[in-house]
Amino acid sequence: MENNTQPIPDTPAIQTILNANQKQIKIGLTMCAHCSLCAESCFLYMSHEGDPRYMPSYKFLNSVGALWRKKGRASQAQLEVMRDLVFDNCVLCTRCYCPLGIDIPSLIALGRRICRSQNLFRTYDKSA
Amino acid sequence: MNPAIFYNFIEGPLVWLSLAVFLSGIVFQALRLSKMMQPSLNGRKIPEKELPVPNTLTKKERFIRNLFFLKNSILGINPLIVFISLIFHLCILTTPLFVPAHAVLLENFFGFSQISWSPRFAHFLTGLILVCGFFFITRRIIIRRVRAITTAYDYLMLGLALAPFLTGYLAHANVGDYRLMITLHILSGELMLILIPFSKFFHMIFFFFSRFAIVNEYSLGAPKRSWQF
Repeated sequence: MENNTQPIPDTPAIQTILNANQKQIKIGLTMCAHCSLCAESCFLYMSHEGDPRYMPSYKFLNSVGALWRKKGRASQAQLEVMRDLVFDNCVLCTRCYCPLGIDIPSLIALGRRICRSQNLFRTYDKSA
Repeated sequence: MNPAIFYNFIEGPLVWLSLAVFLSGIVFQALRLSKMMQPSLNGRKIPEKELPVPNTLTKKERFIRNLFFLKNSILGINPLIVFISLIFHLCILTTPLFVPAHAVLLENFFGFSQISWSPRFAHFLTGLILVCGFFFITRRIIIRRVRAITTAYDYLMLGLALAPFLTGYLAHANVGDYRLMITLHILSGELMLILIPFSKFFHMIFFFFSRFAIVNEYSLGAPKRSWQF
């Protein structure tokens, strides 16, 4: 019989990772001017007809950024949305350009680390 | 409170207080940023012999290469926004320093005159800042990708940055109650100064750290440090 119980996010584990990297997250969130000039540097953004969900700043603001603002408290559904953002919408090619010099790839990589700590990985076949 | 006493307070001690917070805040934050940087590891530095040397290129080839570089840079992709940003930031930094009314205040206090622009030119630059500000607000509302990451805080920051210029412009043009406008002008200017080191405005300092001190593909000068958070 199929087990339908949703896993419960391990909030303390998320908070530990966030706290260990708080300086980097705070700098990223404070210095991002929300200018969206990073958009065209992402080939996925360009190949998805300018879908904002592929914009580098959108990806880090709505993954690690959102989690930081919620102090690490997120539901499983929210973590799954974050998983899609950091694994599916980014290939970590590190080609994104921030006019202010924010290291966006390392913040997205941090998002991936948080997802992995919650047993959330890239799903290769979504129809399965 | 007596309006005259209040006005004297915001025009006197509060100016010095906000300047002190502004300067000490910048020093404090710059020291904090410096502590997050360490000399880059030797292994991460590209040996000079491995760097592409364009000396073998002819003048024409070098020109074409640079042209392609510019075409693929942010300037080539978004020339309008880069141009407007540049004007906005240059004006916002220099206009308050050379406004004739500020020069008069400094002369009254220190006893020496400082170079300043003509009132007409200062008026023009302030107008330019307001037009650029209006462009940024419109861009945030209209363009989908900017709207997707815009929060109320962005509008607040933009409003705070524009408020001293708008109130100064209105006071100079004698629109509305002059006393009210000039009070709002002083207060908003002081608030902006105080907020610079502790808000998104700090990107004006962070930019120079990330470009001139941190080794990366887009760094300027000869930086030798990397982030060690």
